[in-house]
Amino acid sequence: MNWHGHGDRSSRRSDIAIEFRNVSRRFTLRHEQRSSFQDWFIGLLRPRGKAEEFWALRDITFSVRRGEAIGILGRNGAGKSTLLKLMTRVLEPTSGEIITHGQIHAMLELGAGFHPELSGRDNVFLNGSLYGFSRKQMDERFDEIVSFAELERFINTPVKHFSSGMFMRLGFAIAVHMDPEILVIDEVLAVGDSAFQRKGYEALQRLKAGGATIVFVSHNAEQVRSFCERSVLLVNGKMLDIGPTDEVVDHYNRMLQEEVVDASILRVRAIDDTATVIDRLESGQDLGIEVLLRLPGEQHTSALFIALDLYDRQGLHLFGRTSELPDSLPLIDGAGPDTRRIRASLRGLPLAEGPVTIAVTLQRSAGLGVDTVDRQETTIEIDPVGMAGSRGMLRLDNRWDWEAPPSLDDESSPNIRLSRWTSR
Amino acid sequence: MASQAIEAIRYRALIRNLVTKDLKVRYKNSALGFLWSLLNPLLMMVVFTFVFTQILNQNIPKFPVFVLVALLPWNWAAASITLGCSALIDNRALITKVYFPRILLPISIVCSTMVNFILSLPALFLIMVVFHVGFTPWVLYIPVIVLVQAIFLTALVMFLAPLNVYFRDTVVLVEVGLTAWFFMTPVFYPIEAVAPNLTAWMYRINPMAAIVAEYRTILYHGGVPDPLFMARTGATAVVMLVLSYFFFNRLNRNIGEQL
Repeated sequence: MNWHGHGDRSSRRSDIAIEFRNVSRRFTLRHEQRSSFQDWFIGLLRPRGKAEEFWALRDITFSVRRGEAIGILGRNGAGKSTLLKLMTRVLEPTSGEIITHGQIHAMLELGAGFHPELSGRDNVFLNGSLYGFSRKQMDERFDEIVSFAELERFINTPVKHFSSGMFMRLGFAIAVHMDPEILVIDEVLAVGDSAFQRKGYEALQRLKAGGATIVFVSHNAEQVRSFCERSVLLVNGKMLDIGPTDEVVDHYNRMLQEEVVDASILRVRAIDDTATVIDRLESGQDLGIEVLLRLPGEQHTSALFIALDLYDRQGLHLFGRTSELPDSLPLIDGAGPDTRRIRASLRGLPLAEGPVTIAVTLQRSAGLGVDTVDRQETTIEIDPVGMAGSRGMLRLDNRWDWEAPPSLDDESSPNIRLSRWTSR
Repeated sequence: MASQAIEAIRYRALIRNLVTKDLKVRYKNSALGFLWSLLNPLLMMVVFTFVFTQILNQNIPKFPVFVLVALLPWNWAAASITLGCSALIDNRALITKVYFPRILLPISIVCSTMVNFILSLPALFLIMVVFHVGFTPWVLYIPVIVLVQAIFLTALVMFLAPLNVYFRDTVVLVEVGLTAWFFMTPVFYPIEAVAPNLTAWMYRINPMAAIVAEYRTILYHGGVPDPLFMARTGATAVVMLVLSYFFFNRLNRNIGEQL
């Protein structure tokens, strides 16, 4: 097996930081994983269907110079994550050769190595040692890391009590203080509030100015444009373009716009808890929405979004939410080819009455904006059940407390009675 | 192989931190914390003593010392095998996100359970004093046995941890296996109670029998260990370690994908 000449500080004179030579990586998609002995014995008796092979990356060749910032662009499923995992040795290539010179630090997921029960302090040292840093080396950096993460007050608290922002800030602070010669970043600039984002960005600029090589992965082309001189464009595991970032970003945006989307919405229906189609719904009940999509297998779902919007009779926008479609959606038996079903549910629809229009829109990202691919609507009537005595379009849990709340020393007194009027 | 050894040395702080992490996490959420390391084997000793001297009317003098001297190393073996078996699976978040020598995960389990074993030794020494069992200078030989046992356990765990990634029910089989193994190891009975023609075989196929017998010879009988005896067990352990090292590296290549 060809293996990395990693972390070899004696070879630092070389001008190349990372080199990929004809690297391919194959994954085997097994429909039935032989993950237990039982499966394995059954497998011996009954030959299984052929395992499906999937090339996440094919024949990738490029190199990154020392001190350069390179962007990796591509949609979900294009092979970006696989590329990073190969670069950081989490995965091995199926064929080809990867040569890296210098200490690599990867920010694939901030705080990946944190143990929830340990304090922030212990986690800093544990994380440092995951990258081969000694206790002494971490001692030298500890104060800087903590002050960068702005966690002075909480550093001795177990990280399970940290907010997600604190968690990420600590992970980010550790990463930028490890003096990485090569820093691999997977869309982690969006950490914390905007002040911390600026600080993070400046820290990365400082590292870059200090001669670190930076590999920056994002599907946000503008972030890449502001940071990297050169970029790589990945499409379906192949390297489609490499060159100055401006050109590659333009190429990427053009590609997104030109792509013909072959998908449509077949049907939108309102359903209840038991998946029965309905045209009326009692006020306050759960509303389900079932959408049938025609989505041919070749069509990538990664740039597709589905939007769900509710409007009242006057066209007032009551609710809206856009979600990315997952990488794969199951086909449904019995329906036509390429038909897929997705369902949404709205718990306890807080509407009192009236018709509601449910609009489902299929969209795709196009450069900075989105295009509508298809749109369908359906309308249901809300029955004002249990709404006697109230007016208006919303169903709200409401009550009057007729008496002043009891003070603390009255707590044991049985005489306090609250007269309540509630809608339920 | 040499480069891997150098790498392991570079990452020595990781072993230390993983071991402290294991110990800290283990004692964090219990009121008695570290005291359990001492109390658990003592309670087990009380149970065994009651069963074997009161119910079964066994005639082994100073039975508490007799059983505890074997129970402690056995507990170390059982704990490191159980925990080591899932060492890779439990750390999947780490393995799929960060590169580090993954072989350190099973190694750190053996180390942290070993620390636990060593911390429980004072309980044994206390019981020995209470029952007037004398110490001989051969106590100084104990570290050699500990080392042999550590090598043996590392070999086992290095074999089981990656196997468990591919066959998730390894851990269940290991559980059953451990129970069987416990009865096949002279922990609560003397090796002399085994049919004479089987004794040699027991030592041959079960390194734990040899290891446990050696602890007992030194600490309970106050006898003199036979150096050749431990040398044989040690050689077996080293051969196993080399084999499972290659096995681990072979399976390690696809673990990132399998997890």
